[in-house]
Amino acid sequence: MATVASNPVPAHRQYLLLLHAAWRGQLQYRGNLVLTLIGGVLYQGVGLAFVWAVVAKFGHVGGWGMGELAFLYGVRLTAHAAWTIPFNRLNSMDWMVQRGEFDRYLIRPAGTLTQFLNWSTNIQPLGDLIGGVGVLVAASSAAPIDWSPTAVLYLLATIAGGALVECSLQLGLCGLSFRLQATYALRMNFIDNIMNNFGGYPLTIFPSVMRFALTFLLPLAFVAYLPANVLLHRTGELSVAPWLAWCAPLLGPLLFAAAYKFWYGQLKHYKSSGT
Amino acid sequence: MTLDATLPAQRLDLGRRLRAYAGIARVLSRTVMAYRSNFLVGSLGLLMQVFLLRVVWTSVFPSDGRTTTGGHAVTLGAQIAYSTLATVQFSLFSPWQVSMVPQRVRDGTVAVDLARPVGFNGQMFFGQVGFTLGNAPFALLALPFAILVGGAQPPSSAGTAGLYALSLLGGYLISLLLGSLMGMVAFWTLEIQGILMVYRMLSQFLAGALVPLWFMPGWLRGISQWLPFQGTTYTPIAVYLGQLGGALRAIGVQAVWVLVLWLLLRLVWSRALRRVTVQGG
Repeated sequence: MATVASNPVPAHRQYLLLLHAAWRGQLQYRGNLVLTLIGGVLYQGVGLAFVWAVVAKFGHVGGWGMGELAFLYGVRLTAHAAWTIPFNRLNSMDWMVQRGEFDRYLIRPAGTLTQFLNWSTNIQPLGDLIGGVGVLVAASSAAPIDWSPTAVLYLLATIAGGALVECSLQLGLCGLSFRLQATYALRMNFIDNIMNNFGGYPLTIFPSVMRFALTFLLPLAFVAYLPANVLLHRTGELSVAPWLAWCAPLLGPLLFAAAYKFWYGQLKHYKSSGT
Repeated sequence: MTLDATLPAQRLDLGRRLRAYAGIARVLSRTVMAYRSNFLVGSLGLLMQVFLLRVVWTSVFPSDGRTTTGGHAVTLGAQIAYSTLATVQFSLFSPWQVSMVPQRVRDGTVAVDLARPVGFNGQMFFGQVGFTLGNAPFALLALPFAILVGGAQPPSSAGTAGLYALSLLGGYLISLLLGSLMGMVAFWTLEIQGILMVYRMLSQFLAGALVPLWFMPGWLRGISQWLPFQGTTYTPIAVYLGQLGGALRAIGVQAVWVLVLWLLLRLVWSRALRRVTVQGG
């Protein structure tokens, strides 16, 4: 065993091994797979269908046409999928703490977070990815965007940054579960619900107090809205400075570094339930 | 094991059967109370949805607050009242658990249900009614808050209110029958989460729970009008707001759907009974 401790499996290899095992487990249920994916696409698609019906009648929402709205929706949904595919186990955080499941992660020679995230996985976020990329591809030609290489790179940075913003909020709050035992309602029913409900709309339709709150208290605007304004040449109508919109994709990595440190910091307060 | 398709030889008389169904409904309504902390959390999502719909409709309506569609006028106030009522009503009538059947099949308790001297479909039906009755006080409690973040309008007359009550009953029966039909799928495949998700999303949209039929593009309205889903949500609320020319005719259509779906359920059930597999027996 001493060799294991002195020659541990590299962190990235640990991650890939456990990731592979988690997916192999999920793919055993093929019959349900296709319908779950279709269900996942429809779950997110029904919001876009609503927007489409409104635009079909009124021509716009908040001055944005269908191409622009679909682009915003696609960016947000793809960013959402990009974090929920690797991090969907965060859903079970409370339960894992309450059951004392972290005991076994702490004594094994692999990263605690790596083991926790790949304990199992959920295929439904793949439906989000299919839906998000599909909408994004369809909207990228319909929306008035100049597709230079810089714009493509900026879009990719936006999706990665947006995914990290959402992920950091969830991971940080999960850290609190080590002490508070239960943060699910706050994470999923409050924050994730706000992100999913309001994230796909131009913030100009909301009252100004809410616009401020969704930018600076809960950084929803940084996930997709601010960078989408940059790509759509709409920074003029923003109530924040254009440079802030340009820099929006940088918030994700900064928040994630903080959330990661915080999660491991809180892990020290984990008390096994003894079951 | 596979059960023989023979039903219990003796059926109970009507009075005793009704007492049995009432008992099942009572038990199920109490299971809701055990999870009442879910109520606060569930209501939060509901209120967000109501608020979002209000904001979106307000942003797109012309500044004089009225628009015409398909020949009749809709005011912003009526539209917000529609979306508020539709959201609350849909959440009560169409819970994520559309039927008790999948759970009973999955854990094998379907064997006990089949052995009881009252019909299986009746038990499932009244169980679901109990579930709704248990949830109803919470929906009524959420309603004033929904009206606060959304909006409301009184019915135009006492007659309209009466027609609304009738149409609401029709809408509930259609919701229940559709849910029961979906639940039957569990006899063919145990993994039905995917199918139920697809059903829920399609039915929510086609019911008019997000966009009323009067704002749907013509072809989609045509499709929705020929499907039963609109009877669950759109019809009662359009009747309430006085937006339907022929309210009685719309209620008649609901009644036809109740009959058709009920016959369909009987047909599906007669097939499902031959496929019953008891898990963990």
